[in-house]
Amino acid sequence: MSERPRIPPKAYARAAAAGLGGVVLLVLPFYLERFWLQAGLFAMAAAIGAIGINLLTGATGQLSMGHAFFLAVGAYGYCALAGDGTDGLAGLGLPGWLAAVLAVGLAGLAGGVFSPIAGRLHGAYLGIATLALIFIGQHVLFNAHDLTGGYNGRAVPPLNLLGLTFDDSELLVAQVPFGAVEKLWYLGLALLLAGVLFARGVLRGRPGRAMNAIRDHRIAAGVMGIPVARHRAAVFVLSSMYAGLAGVLLALVFQRTVPEYFGMALSLEYLAMIVIGGLGSVAGAVAGGIFVALLPQVLNRYAEALPLVSAPGTGGIAPGEAARYLYGAAVVGTVLFLPGGLARLVARTPIHRPSGETR
Amino acid sequence: MNHRRQAVRGLAAALATLVALTAAGCSSKAKSGDAKETGAGGVKMGEGVTDTTITLGALTDMTGVYATLGKSVTQAQQLWVKQTNAAGGICDRKLELTVRDHGYDPQKALAAYTELEPKVVGYAQFIGSPFVAAVKQRVDGQDKGLVMPQAWSASLLGSPYIRVLGATYDVETINAVDFLVTEKGLRKGDKLGHVYFEGDYGENALKGSKYAAGQAGLTVVEQKIKPTDNDMSAQVAALKQAGVKAVLVSAGPRQAASLVGVAAATGLRVPVVGNNSAFAPQLLGTQAGPALEKMYWFASPSLPIGADTPVAKKLAADYAAAYPEDGLDNGVVAGWTAATAFGEILKKACEKGDLTREGVSKALLILNAHDPGFGMTHDFTDPKSPSSRQSVIIQPDKKAAGGMRTVREPFVSEAAKSYTF
Repeated sequence: MSERPRIPPKAYARAAAAGLGGVVLLVLPFYLERFWLQAGLFAMAAAIGAIGINLLTGATGQLSMGHAFFLAVGAYGYCALAGDGTDGLAGLGLPGWLAAVLAVGLAGLAGGVFSPIAGRLHGAYLGIATLALIFIGQHVLFNAHDLTGGYNGRAVPPLNLLGLTFDDSELLVAQVPFGAVEKLWYLGLALLLAGVLFARGVLRGRPGRAMNAIRDHRIAAGVMGIPVARHRAAVFVLSSMYAGLAGVLLALVFQRTVPEYFGMALSLEYLAMIVIGGLGSVAGAVAGGIFVALLPQVLNRYAEALPLVSAPGTGGIAPGEAARYLYGAAVVGTVLFLPGGLARLVARTPIHRPSGETR
Repeated sequence: MNHRRQAVRGLAAALATLVALTAAGCSSKAKSGDAKETGAGGVKMGEGVTDTTITLGALTDMTGVYATLGKSVTQAQQLWVKQTNAAGGICDRKLELTVRDHGYDPQKALAAYTELEPKVVGYAQFIGSPFVAAVKQRVDGQDKGLVMPQAWSASLLGSPYIRVLGATYDVETINAVDFLVTEKGLRKGDKLGHVYFEGDYGENALKGSKYAAGQAGLTVVEQKIKPTDNDMSAQVAALKQAGVKAVLVSAGPRQAASLVGVAAATGLRVPVVGNNSAFAPQLLGTQAGPALEKMYWFASPSLPIGADTPVAKKLAADYAAAYPEDGLDNGVVAGWTAATAFGEILKKACEKGDLTREGVSKALLILNAHDPGFGMTHDFTDPKSPSSRQSVIIQPDKKAAGGMRTVREPFVSEAAKSYTF
């Protein structure tokens, strides 16, 4: 034993904690009711989208207001590719899994078309340019009836993967009926895990260092030989693909895409996620995504139990309003007291590292 | 390496225990036979019904774009619940209305629907037609609870469980055109302007106006606007140039006021008729007030709150007593109509001894003449049609109660009768 390099017990503790957390996540669908699973799926989709915008805004310093547009491309792209045209809307009738992959690719393509602009502009200027995408997107979503279904949106065809259909047809697993959300839960977990690992790889490798250099000092980065414009364009495409993936997952959970959803407020929400979670880190994006997606739903559900809240119409603060105030207070509180975001909360607790270990 | 082995062993044990627990039925989600209980009074009970209470859901918007409508509808329904309970409830059970405010946010609306779904027998209110459309698949497929949307778009028709109360926008617009032809002297060959919102309200109304125009030999001059457009000067100029003899408005109260005000100021003195969402009594206090009283009418699926019927008078008085700070508007009537219809359906289901969702949907199909007291009877026997095709024509009037005066009692035009969805 003593000859082997010693691995500190702390690392085991962390691995065990992560493993246990993983197991808990895996068995949740057996116990939680639909509301919680659905809320969890919204949180996973938000986390995936937030990772994307954190690569762009947090790690590279490029502000984007158009994230909601790429989510819409993913969501509607999936519908159009997988739809079989029986509802009178354009559809190619591709198998679900292929449509999902292509929809992510389509979002990347949309990002690529925009990338000459994304490569040239920096910071807030890009934010203003991407703002246009939101308005173009909203106009198209509301008016391109044959493609988007207009105001009431279009139904989302269920995903088919390895003979398993992710719809509400009941599948009995250990006596527990599995509907759409239970099945999608595992898909969401897998996608989120893949998204996290990929983004980590990017951030910890050469491209990540180049992105941070561009964020911290664009000219110095250029002098050191980093192709600034190319990196900016590439990270914009990658961020769009993450948004597209989040859009596909959201569409599958919603079972219907509604144009109303993909507006300016959604883009701002994604920016709020990475500010709250912590700029530039994957864990921060995930934490922020979960925080912003879950909080309003949970508050809305339990607002009635809060003190000072009265039944609607009796003159006091209505539950819905109280939920909004609390959400606002939570956001302000996080930004005030955790300037580095939620990610710092974990990082602040000292992790014992023996000298010599590099991470 | 001991640590790792231990950790792996521990995890495996934990996993095995959890799976065993689930398999043994410790999860409350595990299936244990489909037992529909029979409770007090020999009545079969399902979701949202116990021996003592019947729970209804209300998915409303009190903090978003439809806040005024949502507040009125919800308060009217709460008033109905209070009065019904005071009179002994329904089926010897007290009613309970669980309200969730989604603020017109799709994510919150879906979350609220999912949360209440296992707890209620049905929804007496659901604001936001895109969200109703979003849950339609689930309602029809598995949930099967009755939903009464507070939206009047024909795109919501066709489900046996989602039932639109009163004339849809297209039918209402057809009736409005009939009013223009029979009472305002619109003749074959005339041009009819139509200012409408993009989205399903306006587009549904446009479908109606086109159909009615085709029947009456009129031409429709379209003007599409966005809900954020508040100044109608450009539209009025365009309509004036086209030489329209009358104008339809399928937009919000603001747009209607702007349109009528600008038209009066620029000399386009033609009758303007709106849908029921295109008027609010508060408009009479604005600068457009006098012009509205002179040349504006609107169609509505029921008599106004200030109508001269015993129910309307009682409701107006009770509502004013319960919520003295809030004004009386047509949201109150809409909420009341939906709630009383739901109550009537529950009573029928109770008579049949089946308060499950299945029992409720069966009761729905035999309810063919429900009269909530606002001049209309509602017929729920055909899921493909709205519960009524009647409209009333109302004129803004400062002196009348609620600022509205009925100029044409409930009617269905010939064109609306023959119209298919």
